[in-house]
Amino acid sequence: MGAAIAGLGMTEMGKVYGRSARRLAADAVRLAAADAGLALEELDGLLISHGMGGSPGIELADVLGLRDLRLLTVMNAFGATAGAMIASAAMAVQSGSASAVACVFADAPLRPKVSAGAAYDSTPREFRGYGGMTAAQGFRSVNALYALAAQRHMAEYGTTSEQLGAVAVSTREWARLNPIAQMRDPMTTADHQASRWVVEPLHLLDCCLVSNGAVAVIVTAADRAADLAQPAVHILGWGQGHPGNRYERGSDFGLTTGATISGPAALKMAGMTVADIQMCQLYDCYTITTLLTLEDYGFCAKGEGGEFVASGALGPGGALPTNTGGGQLSGYYMWGMTPVSEAIIQARGQAGERQVARNETILVSGNGGILDHHSTLILSPAQAGSSTTTGR
Amino acid sequence: MTPPTIRRDGRSDAFFDAAGRGELVIKRCADCAAWHAPEASGCHLCGGAALEWTRASGDAVLITWAKVHPRGEGDALHIAFVELAEGPWLHAALDGVDDPSAGLALKAAFVRPDDGEPLLVFRTA
Ligand SMILES: [Zn+2]
Repeated sequence: MGAAIAGLGMTEMGKVYGRSARRLAADAVRLAAADAGLALEELDGLLISHGMGGSPGIELADVLGLRDLRLLTVMNAFGATAGAMIASAAMAVQSGSASAVACVFADAPLRPKVSAGAAYDSTPREFRGYGGMTAAQGFRSVNALYALAAQRHMAEYGTTSEQLGAVAVSTREWARLNPIAQMRDPMTTADHQASRWVVEPLHLLDCCLVSNGAVAVIVTAADRAADLAQPAVHILGWGQGHPGNRYERGSDFGLTTGATISGPAALKMAGMTVADIQMCQLYDCYTITTLLTLEDYGFCAKGEGGEFVASGALGPGGALPTNTGGGQLSGYYMWGMTPVSEAIIQARGQAGERQVARNETILVSGNGGILDHHSTLILSPAQAGSSTTTGR
Repeated sequence: MTPPTIRRDGRSDAFFDAAGRGELVIKRCADCAAWHAPEASGCHLCGGAALEWTRASGDAVLITWAKVHPRGEGDALHIAFVELAEGPWLHAALDGVDDPSAGLALKAAFVRPDDGEPLLVFRTA
């Protein structure tokens, strides 16, 4: 018996003030249950993931008034959590240890009148010790570490800033078709090149948004999902990959990610190869993350990600529609729930103007840490064994 | 640019003592002699917990770099991962390296501000 996603709940996202992460999480779970056509008391499992701006914990069950749960846990694999959470929910459903599991992510780092950069800024007032010395010299942000990763890929394979820009531009083209995307103004490669440096070689338009909000999904058995309010989205495969990059001689930092582990595992479980995948919803905290992930899954050869993304494959009308809701770069930044939510909308055929015709096989990624953690899901509107997947 | 002021934290005093003498020290496993970065707390090769501050050559090569542009006044600054001849990578600041390239030979040096501890930087060898 397979597992499926039966409900999706999304709060308002972006500059949403006045609600704590816990309150947003509760709202998203209520929305997801209502979307599925389930009463809250029919949930017997709750998995919780939080970001940087507040920590909904297992007390969320009390906030929601849930009773007699059989599964209740806070999970954390950074940006890989959403995929890991949904896989755990699927395993719980398949083992019979729970029958309807809500998985929720919530975050509220933004404050009124404080810049998005400052929301995640961890600059100490004093610099102490060895770590303080490196922080004082410029190692202050995730931006700096992803810039170092991008520069390594550029130096090794000749990847260019314009190619990274192609990722931002194709993602924005999709965002323009998504009414809930936060950034919908037209963008050209020239706009990307002209945007200010965050940390060179990353421009502002290479970096994701920061958003307040919450997203929840309901996972249940495939046969039960078939009787609920929404088209079922089947969970055909999953995997995790944590390469454990060490910062020492021989490190692949900036060159490969855990997608090389989680991708093949998820595809094997689904009985597929990358040639069967019709659409990608990838964790795109930075443009380089999209490019690296595509290489590591095998959509192109290692080192050829720059040419691949510049070919137009990812955008509307392209061979591999990717991040069709605008991703985290232009859509909304709900960590791993950004790609998960768009995959559900596309699998259900509810994406409106941006709906992709070939939506039978959707690959979803999560990425966390500095390319340290990865998760993969294979989602489909068709149940395992009944799919008509025959290549892209 | 005024160099930032660094204070001791107790855990890395040996590093700053050596820096004051112009010497780079990093950690070395007392059991298997593997080299580790200054912040390592144990040896991932043999599982040993006894790491000793040990003088390193200061020779390094550039792995990757990035340029931090200040939001207000001031000069852009290169940060980098450098690979020490002994093997570990350090989070490093580059000093006077105008045209970075992968594999560039570097040498550890120390900047001595008027106040606070010396700052480790890498310059073209
Ligand atoms: Zn050892």
